[in-house]
Amino acid sequence: MIGLWRKIRRTGRVAEPAPPAPEAGPAAPALSGSVQIRHVDAGSCNGCEVEIGSAFGPVHDAERYGARLVASPRHADALIVTGPVTRNMAEPLRRTYEAVPRPRVVVAVGDCARNCGVFAGAYGVVGPVSEIVPVDAEVAGCPPRPEAIVAALRGLTGR
Amino acid sequence: MNVTGVALVAALVAGFGGGVAGLVVPRTVRPVVVGACVAAAGALATLAGVAAMAGVAWSAALPWLLPLTGVELAVDPLGGVFLAVTGAVAVAAGVYGIGYARGGLDGRAVQAALPVFVASLLLVPAAGSIGTLLVCWELMALASLLLVLAEHGKRAEVASAGRWYAVMTHLGFVAILVGLLVLAGATGDGSFAAVREQARAPETAGLVFVCCLVGFGSKAGVLPLHAWLPRAHPEAPSHVSALMSAAMVNLGVYGILRVGFDLLGGGAPWWWLAVLVLGAASAVYGILQAAVGSDLKRLLGYSTTENMGLVLVGVGAGGMFAASGDAVLAALALTAALLHVVAHAAFKTLLFLAAGSVLHGTGLRDLDAMGGLRPVMPFTTVAFGLGALTASALPPGAAFVSEWVLLQALVHGAGSGTVVASSIVLPVAVGAVALTAGLAVATFVKAFGVGFLARPRSAAAAEAHESPPTMLAGMALAGLACVGLAVLPTVVLPAVAGVAGGVTGSGPAVTGAVTIQLTGVSGTMSPLLLVAALAVATALVAAVVSRRSARRARLWDCGGGPMSARMEYTATSFAEPLQRVFDNVLAPDQDVDVTHYEESRYLVRAVAYRRTLRDRVEHRLYEPVLAAVRGWGRAGRRLADGSVHRYLTYGFATLCGLLVLMVVTR
Repeated sequence: MIGLWRKIRRTGRVAEPAPPAPEAGPAAPALSGSVQIRHVDAGSCNGCEVEIGSAFGPVHDAERYGARLVASPRHADALIVTGPVTRNMAEPLRRTYEAVPRPRVVVAVGDCARNCGVFAGAYGVVGPVSEIVPVDAEVAGCPPRPEAIVAALRGLTGR
Repeated sequence: MNVTGVALVAALVAGFGGGVAGLVVPRTVRPVVVGACVAAAGALATLAGVAAMAGVAWSAALPWLLPLTGVELAVDPLGGVFLAVTGAVAVAAGVYGIGYARGGLDGRAVQAALPVFVASLLLVPAAGSIGTLLVCWELMALASLLLVLAEHGKRAEVASAGRWYAVMTHLGFVAILVGLLVLAGATGDGSFAAVREQARAPETAGLVFVCCLVGFGSKAGVLPLHAWLPRAHPEAPSHVSALMSAAMVNLGVYGILRVGFDLLGGGAPWWWLAVLVLGAASAVYGILQAAVGSDLKRLLGYSTTENMGLVLVGVGAGGMFAASGDAVLAALALTAALLHVVAHAAFKTLLFLAAGSVLHGTGLRDLDAMGGLRPVMPFTTVAFGLGALTASALPPGAAFVSEWVLLQALVHGAGSGTVVASSIVLPVAVGAVALTAGLAVATFVKAFGVGFLARPRSAAAAEAHESPPTMLAGMALAGLACVGLAVLPTVVLPAVAGVAGGVTGSGPAVTGAVTIQLTGVSGTMSPLLLVAALAVATALVAAVVSRRSARRARLWDCGGGPMSARMEYTATSFAEPLQRVFDNVLAPDQDVDVTHYEESRYLVRAVAYRRTLRDRVEHRLYEPVLAAVRGWGRAGRRLADGSVHRYLTYGFATLCGLLVLMVVTR
């Protein structure tokens, strides 16, 4: 136990130093610095999920900017949606959006969520996220870098 | 003849008259006549009991009625409490039975046995001599056995339950018989007054008490002797279950009080220590079995074991305090016990009648198949909810008041008596009562929530219908008693406290009209103000909530849906965490079978979960005895193999043996 404490002290903080705060998005005042986020995988290849995991990991540590992943849309202020919206996920995505209390924000993460990416025109795909629910912010990239995801989340929290 | 006597005799006439009417009246009006007789007998007996509690004692001797012993009746305040409780239960059960009997229970035997059973229940606390008590006790056992067997044509388990009940109730009777005959042998005359006068030999007093504790304890469903209770109560018709569970088991407590306190005059502390320990063990074990059970009526049967255990904790503590010379505390503990008898009678009647209504409307007893009864059986749902609230020992509830008084007695008693009693047993008993109360909440949340709310889990539950008006009226009477005892327990509390004070020879331990005040120890509580505060708080919360703007939204079902009844909590799944906590005590036998598709081990075809919960006391204690008896019988069968030659040889050998014996002994 003592060894563990010693190691924690020796290691110190490993998170990247905070880059300068980006410009706060339009939703930031209403959410006042603390944003609870529900993630919806609408048909992603899991590449974006890995990067989201990394954004909330110890290196990028998105939680220090007030963003937090939660387990239910009922607890959430914002949805982050990844992947092109497949036929099976179109209705659940709509219901998830309905379940989020107002005010609510939707972030489309990754090229697939923005414009279906490489899956555009595939038989199982309905369309990009913006065709199903209104999107407030987008993160480009296939997959997007964690820094980009963190920057988009900081746009929501304003911190 | 005073008011007690007139009312009691009228009640007995109504009871036995109802028995005769059940035999002779035609089938169309039989349930109405019998139900009216039962209700009338109950009402009159309540009047007699209340009068006796108020101090109007009555006694009568009818030496011509029975050979050898004659019949002696004597109603004193202690008997009055049980008379009143039994009578009140009988009123609700009688009214309820009118509608309930239409479902194939209007046969001659059942309809005649019911009023006789009620009359025998009234005779036991009114018995004034050992002979009378024994005869009435046996009459009660036989009448109830007939009623337990009422539906033997419909279900095979009824016969088995009847056998268990018959054997155990008679073994209990043998124990009482031995105990009371040893007691009567010392006095010659068997009347209670003569026994009381007689100086008691201490060496036989212990034997008498232990025998009576075994016999009366088995009737009260106390721990190792409870096995009949969760069998017989579910299989009996529901109004009979109510009578058995709310009135008959009380008489076991009455017997222990009568013999221990009255006839033997207190006795040694170890008697009462045994009563307390048995009571605490029964309370915890009973409610634990109820918490993990899924048969509604069986669950209620186990809850009866629990509540009788709590009563016996009070009786045992009272006896211990009395033996150590602390009469005021003893009166307090006994008051708690008697009040809990009253409260238990009220809510258990209501719960069994409501369970019977569910059985009537759906044909179901299995909680796992119920659910969704609230819209189709609104009245029954309210009745069961009220009973469940009361049984949970939460305010506002009658059981809350009695358990509060019990805990006060146990906590304040920690400084009196011997070291073992005051510093080990009483604190542990407080813990047992607290654990019991917590488990009772879980049990009744499960029974009510799973049984009545959400969606129906089976076709039978979906097609349920509300019960006829007489059944609803029976439930309403019991419900009124529950509400009355919850809001104004101070109406009955002074009378009960007076009786308890009379038994221990001190004044009443509890006084007060609005606020309950304990004498001797510091403690006050006001059920009425508590109810008022709860009502005000509820109204405030409701007002605040209703003012908020609401947004109607779809129930969150993970975006999938729609949710089906298969996704609901069942009684088994609700109790699973509890079962896991008490794994060592319950020792459940469970098994999960996962079958896969042939193509891939990753694809699950089906998951089967199986759980059997055996009553562990029964498994460890009864099964070896039964196996030994069965082995003995099998060995005996070798003697009788059907060969006529062998039987002739037996006869010849016996004759020769007798002749030789006569020659030798001559």
